[in-house]
Amino acid sequence: MGLLKGMLTAARFRVDGDLPTDWRERYRDGLLDQAFREPVVRTKGEETEGWVEIHNLLDTDFANHNRWLYHPWALFSLRVDKKRLPANLVRATLEKRCQAWCEERDTTSCPAAVRSELKSSLEEEWFARMLPTVQVTDVGWNVADKTVLVGSLAEGTLARVRKRFFRTFGLRLVPWSPLDILDDKAHIDALLGSSPEAWGPLSEQGDWS
Amino acid sequence: MSDDTSGTPLVPHITSEFLLWLWWYSEHREGLFRLGDPVGDVTLWIDDRLAFRRPSDSRLTAVMTGDNPSASLEARAALAGGKVLHELRIGMKRDEREFFVTLKGPSLHFQATKLPPVVEKGEEEPIHSRLYFYDELALIVGALFQYFGALRTGDEWADVVPLIQAWVAGEA
Repeated sequence: MGLLKGMLTAARFRVDGDLPTDWRERYRDGLLDQAFREPVVRTKGEETEGWVEIHNLLDTDFANHNRWLYHPWALFSLRVDKKRLPANLVRATLEKRCQAWCEERDTTSCPAAVRSELKSSLEEEWFARMLPTVQVTDVGWNVADKTVLVGSLAEGTLARVRKRFFRTFGLRLVPWSPLDILDDKAHIDALLGSSPEAWGPLSEQGDWS
Repeated sequence: MSDDTSGTPLVPHITSEFLLWLWWYSEHREGLFRLGDPVGDVTLWIDDRLAFRRPSDSRLTAVMTGDNPSASLEARAALAGGKVLHELRIGMKRDEREFFVTLKGPSLHFQATKLPPVVEKGEEEPIHSRLYFYDELALIVGALFQYFGALRTGDEWADVVPLIQAWVAGEA
């Protein structure tokens, strides 16, 4: 996203709700509670997510307000680690292991239960030694004007951030509309009720997506 | 989480018309937008990307990039052919500060935003400066949209439409 450096791409949201008077302490606790933690046990198809400091995806020192609160902005990132085994490689290796199992026992078929056990063992072995893909999405929350920037335009990522934001702060993120800029309710109503202009002879007057 | 707060609706044709108006106005007023307080004067130009789509389809059907794509015949032809603007990359100058941003889609998302360089050193000051520049950019774009919103809902809009249509047709 580049909230701190580089090119910035971001979706905007409005925060639905008011800040409690003790928001600094509450939100610190929320961030600590929902911080990223390395899983103790590696499991199949593992996906782990949580908040990290915007400065470094390995840091979660939210107890220190100076690491995430730059008044009026609260800055943090959502880290999502995923491990996905290459299905074709798993399938091919499993075939080899089934063949080896059959040869050891001088038989031609590998029972389903054995096959399943061999697969689990293979996956466990590989998950333990593989590194995850790590996705980090920056979030900037202007607590004064109740807007939030999320450093992605991908629907799945935005949905994930909104969900965790609600779980952490108890506040919903509402998609921002350009009409939110307008102060005059009459202008908003007029624009909502307006029809598209035709700029050329081939302009379509149908439904807009 | 149930999404029971959907917010203010998006109006895709309005944001597309806003982008077109920015393009047209920037060519006819030498890029000078007098936005009044608190923004003041801003110079705006179309940068190196325009993307079009059909109104009924969210997929892009024409993308023009490179040097001065807004001056190309293809860009006007896309409009004349019924396509509408979905993305517009603009450059803006306010005082001595330059901003570049691609305004994208009905939400006017900021994409590939280039903010003025931060000169402060240290840990905190650069962060505050950068966030200040983002706020300034949002303020400028907000003022442009407010200006357009007032125009689009006012009597003067009826005079503007034929001017843009003539410009699209290459008559002005």
